[in-house]
Amino acid sequence: MSFVFSKENLERIEALKSRYPSPKALLLPCLWMAQYQEGYISLDAIEVIGEVIDMPPMELYRVATFYTMFNLEPVGKYHIQLCKTLSCALRGKAQILAQLSNRLGIKPGESSQDGKYTLSQVECLGSCGTAPVMQINDRYYENLTPEKIDTILESLEEES
Amino acid sequence: MSQTEVVIDDKRFVAKEGSLLIDLLIKHNLKVPYFCYHEALGADGNCRMCMVEIEGQKRPQIACDTLIKEGMVVRTKGENIESVRRNILELELINHPVDCPICDQAGECKLQDFYMDYGLYDSHIDQADKVHHQKHIDLGSNVMLDQERCVLCARCTRFTADITKTHELGIIGRGDHARVSTMPGKKLDNPYAMNVVDLCPVGALTSKDFRFSQRVWFLTSTPSVCHGCAKGCNIFIDHNREKYKDETIYRFRPRENQAVNGYFICDEGRLSYKALQENRQVERDRNGAVCSEAEALKAYCKTLEGAKGEIIVLADPNLYREELVAIEAYAAHIGASLYAPLEHYRDEDFADDWLKSSQRAANAKAVEILEIKTTLPVEKAGLLISFNHPDAAQIKAEKVISFQTHIGKDAYDLTLPLAVFSESAGTLVNEEGIEQYCPRAIKRNEPIPTVIEWLTQIEGGDK
Ligand code: SF4
Ligand code: SF4
Ligand code: FES
Ligand code: FES
Repeated sequence: MSFVFSKENLERIEALKSRYPSPKALLLPCLWMAQYQEGYISLDAIEVIGEVIDMPPMELYRVATFYTMFNLEPVGKYHIQLCKTLSCALRGKAQILAQLSNRLGIKPGESSQDGKYTLSQVECLGSCGTAPVMQINDRYYENLTPEKIDTILESLEEES
Repeated sequence: MSQTEVVIDDKRFVAKEGSLLIDLLIKHNLKVPYFCYHEALGADGNCRMCMVEIEGQKRPQIACDTLIKEGMVVRTKGENIESVRRNILELELINHPVDCPICDQAGECKLQDFYMDYGLYDSHIDQADKVHHQKHIDLGSNVMLDQERCVLCARCTRFTADITKTHELGIIGRGDHARVSTMPGKKLDNPYAMNVVDLCPVGALTSKDFRFSQRVWFLTSTPSVCHGCAKGCNIFIDHNREKYKDETIYRFRPRENQAVNGYFICDEGRLSYKALQENRQVERDRNGAVCSEAEALKAYCKTLEGAKGEIIVLADPNLYREELVAIEAYAAHIGASLYAPLEHYRDEDFADDWLKSSQRAANAKAVEILEIKTTLPVEKAGLLISFNHPDAAQIKAEKVISFQTHIGKDAYDLTLPLAVFSESAGTLVNEEGIEQYCPRAIKRNEPIPTVIEWLTQIEGGDK
């Protein structure tokens, strides 16, 4: 198995264990830790977590596939999640998507060749008042326009 | 728990307070549809098909999650509850491919039954709008999965989680995309895996071994008992005689018996029907040449008369008790010593702590009760008469007469065909001492004699 939890994560797991009557309660925190550590949750990670919290891998896998926020495949350094639900759709999500697709040269569900960007469409991000909205890694970008997309992507290019 | 009285559809029933309402309905054959509940798996409450009306409750309740209470008044019929059921069924079927004409479950499918009993609506959804999933996925262990036909009742996943505890199956994804699956790269792999085919109420899980071989409504089911080991699991032998063909067994299915096997059987036992129709001994063979029945009987008597020294009779410990008794009497009549050696049937690798027993001889207990010797005879015999015993070739004997069900690699002075258990009838005593009668299931176009039929002919010729 190639996945191992980092030292910090192991410490966090130990600390969390004392809070609950059963280690099984750590299912979701462990999946998050694995995802933050590697960028996605590999099958190896699922096996390892299964041992840590004493749960058959299948039970973990079911949970991991249930929540769309868990990535079961590797994603780019910047994971762009564009909201496709009603408010955003009515407020111009289609143009935003076209702009993103054109600039990055990828369709939703794909990653750029350099592995830097992954583009996905997701359900409501809970920020309808500032639609259209997208999330890049843990950050929200609101009231989007095609021009804003250009600026955001340029700043990401500079950052890296 | 105390007994209490409840009223269901205006009739009174006595039941244990706190027991499941659905169990009472099933026990008294009060029709209520259900997918996810199963006596062996318990209630899961996911399919919502088992709705009933309970007096004093605003909404219909699921019978599988309702505990019996004193004075409960339940309705399983009526316009209201029937329309609730119809709507739930329509929801279950919303993405169903309706491929009954090519589906192996047709004829024993709960979706079909419930649609005819409670559905009968016109579909609101266009075939083209349905969500599609993968069809014919080979899960392993002879089980095929069609994800589109699944109603997500979770019986199969609860079986692998709670009963075999092997956890191969799970429902992954959610909403329209929820489907049964194994972990990527993993297979369904346990010695009881094929039970999920019987558990699946629809055609989502089918047996690779059985599918496309018969329409189920052509099959005749004869109750019987598996001969795979001394557990004696109860089965149905499903068989059919197609035009111009011989009677053929197409599958074994588990038959409920709480005292023996519950609801399940092992895969090896389930597939053991094949051996009953492969490589069968059908000819009478005298010194390597085929002969008629009359010639065979003549040769038998001559060999018996000419026997010098001790006569040994071997009886297979898989034979029915009635057959063993007849052989015992016959052996005494001709002054032979009788053995039913068990050594061959010890198989520690086969055993587990559920059904499978390390004693592979189905009637070992009967042999013990009849006090037949179970060791392998070591002395040299003048004549050996074997009733299908696998160790016949190991006995040193001048002459050998072998009654056998299957063609073996050893040649004997006289080889005579013998009926297998499905072509005979009699009693098995399982390892716990439970007696179980098996009627004759198969009548071949050209019958092969059973032990008793042979002995009757031989003794008739004797006189
Ligand atoms: S495959 Fe069959 S048993 Fe399993 S969840 Fe689907 S319908 Fe139920
Ligand atoms: S456990 Fe034994 S008797 Fe039961 S099905 Fe398997 S082989 Fe047959
Ligand atoms: S619809 Fe886009 S954030 Fe709610
Ligand atoms: S049988 Fe009651 S909800 Fe499925």
